[in-house]
Amino acid sequence: MKRRAFILSAAAAACSRGPRLNVYNWSDYVAPETIPDFERETGIFVRYGTYESVQEMLAKVMSGNSGWDVVFPSADYIQPMREMGLLAPLRPEWLPHLDALDAPFRHPPWDPELRWSVPYMWGVTGIAYQTSLDRPPCSWGDLWNPRLAGKITMLDDPPEVLGACLKMLGYSLNSSDPAQLRRAQQEAIAQKKLLRAYLNAEVRDQLVAGDVAAAQAWAITAAQAIEAAPDKLAFAFPSEGFARFADTVAVLRESRRQQAAHRFIDYLLRPEVSAKIATATQTATANGAARALLPAAMRDNPVLYPSGGTLARGEWFQPQSAASQRLRDRLWTEIKSA
Amino acid sequence: MNRLRARLLAPAAALAFLTVVAPLAIICLYSFMSRGAYGGVGQPFTSENYTRLLDPLYGAILWRSFWVAAVSTLICLALGFPLALFIARSGEKKNLYLSLVILPFWTSFLIRTYAWMFLLRDTGLINTALLSAGIIREPLPMLYNNGAVILGLVYGFLPFMVLPLYAILERLDPSLMEAAADLGARPRETLFRVILPLCAPGIRAGAILVFVPCLGTYLTSDLLGGSKTILIGNLVQNQFTSARDWPFGAAASLALMAAATLLLFAARRSGEELL
Repeated sequence: MKRRAFILSAAAAACSRGPRLNVYNWSDYVAPETIPDFERETGIFVRYGTYESVQEMLAKVMSGNSGWDVVFPSADYIQPMREMGLLAPLRPEWLPHLDALDAPFRHPPWDPELRWSVPYMWGVTGIAYQTSLDRPPCSWGDLWNPRLAGKITMLDDPPEVLGACLKMLGYSLNSSDPAQLRRAQQEAIAQKKLLRAYLNAEVRDQLVAGDVAAAQAWAITAAQAIEAAPDKLAFAFPSEGFARFADTVAVLRESRRQQAAHRFIDYLLRPEVSAKIATATQTATANGAARALLPAAMRDNPVLYPSGGTLARGEWFQPQSAASQRLRDRLWTEIKSA
Repeated sequence: MNRLRARLLAPAAALAFLTVVAPLAIICLYSFMSRGAYGGVGQPFTSENYTRLLDPLYGAILWRSFWVAAVSTLICLALGFPLALFIARSGEKKNLYLSLVILPFWTSFLIRTYAWMFLLRDTGLINTALLSAGIIREPLPMLYNNGAVILGLVYGFLPFMVLPLYAILERLDPSLMEAAADLGARPRETLFRVILPLCAPGIRAGAILVFVPCLGTYLTSDLLGGSKTILIGNLVQNQFTSARDWPFGAAASLALMAAATLLLFAARRSGEELL
């Protein structure tokens, strides 16, 4: 199916000289039919590329003549990309489906008036664990339990690990205070001897297999693991607070296809399109109207869509200054070398 | 004749310039610049990225990388030499064995590393078999430690040791061994005093082919080491991703390259003295 879609779109590229749009997205972040359906409907040929990390995307578009029109930056990259003059202001009159967004995402903290970006998907970081544990973990501190030695994993991601340590100590996960960061680092080093490994999405299989007892994990990864082993695994939103993150859609300033780009974003905002994407990627959508269309099991999945009360403990990642970034990298290197 | 040679060489020279010299020049330039706020490079020019490398933290990382690469190379040699000798002496089946050595290259290194993870995991093939046979009670912690990293490196780069050794051993004149035996050398003496010295160029080539990529590895330490230790390859990778400090990453990768080059020269010097 995927392959056929690819051949068809390649063929379309070869014969059509019609309008084009260059879309640069995370890998596995649309449904298989999303792009072909858009091409069929609008006659716009989409050149679609994927990246694995937001830094990879930023590195490409920073030059200002990358050839991409639409990108999917993480929410904490909106401000820096705006300051670097990389983003084009959005034109709400070209986005009639904006009101499909869930109420909190119509005024998100990183872009309150949605002038530069449209929220796309979002998630949180918490703890995935085996329900067979006699004391289920409910706080970050529980991941320092020596009885779980060798069966704990943390994410292989500096802001996440330092963020969990900062939260455990009662600080903001975006802290740039050297003293607070040092204390967080000491906690991370103390925890390291209990750790099995630093794993990202790979932890899913090891949770299902039972190799890992408790893991710092993205809710998306945890939801997939829980679906594979529903009576063995559960997910906790740590009591000290936890990280929230979101990805957005934005138009690059360099784009000479502003109208087509808006048309594409509005297409993504359509509830039925967005619902298909949320189903295919199993990710929490920022599109409230789309969520209503999801199958009940997914729509009411408490791991993907926790209650407002739970979410109030969450904190959004924010961009770090160069100095703080450098200190954090040094602390991270020291943790890894310890 | 000279003009013909120049014409035939031109494409390769152009390719080498475009894909080796030019990128290296860019890395070199970057390593003397300052970091941009969100990746990329900026003014002013500075040598600060190199002075930062003098920090003992980074020295320890470089030392650890050398150590891991050296151990992997020695194990490759210990395993690869008997194998190469066996293949060189196996007559008609030589080609079959050689293709078996090369066979793994038909699959991507990444996928083969994942396969090792499936073998070594707590609920992996080896632990499950040992547990059900009653040989062990608790799964052996085989994955996510330095041993697993070295295993992955040895597995990945063993063919690079076997092939140059084989090339030498295959051309070794059997009459030399016969002469040694006739002169009263026992097999052990023949091996250590005749065959091994004659193989020195192959050993050196194999050691370089294994050591250098091991030194720069980052995939194996991430996947099989569970990212618990940081090697110089991981340090460089982090600078270009999460740390967004390209100039420092460029300086670190150049320092790695300089260290490896120095080592190669030293190996060549000592090799010449030996011969």
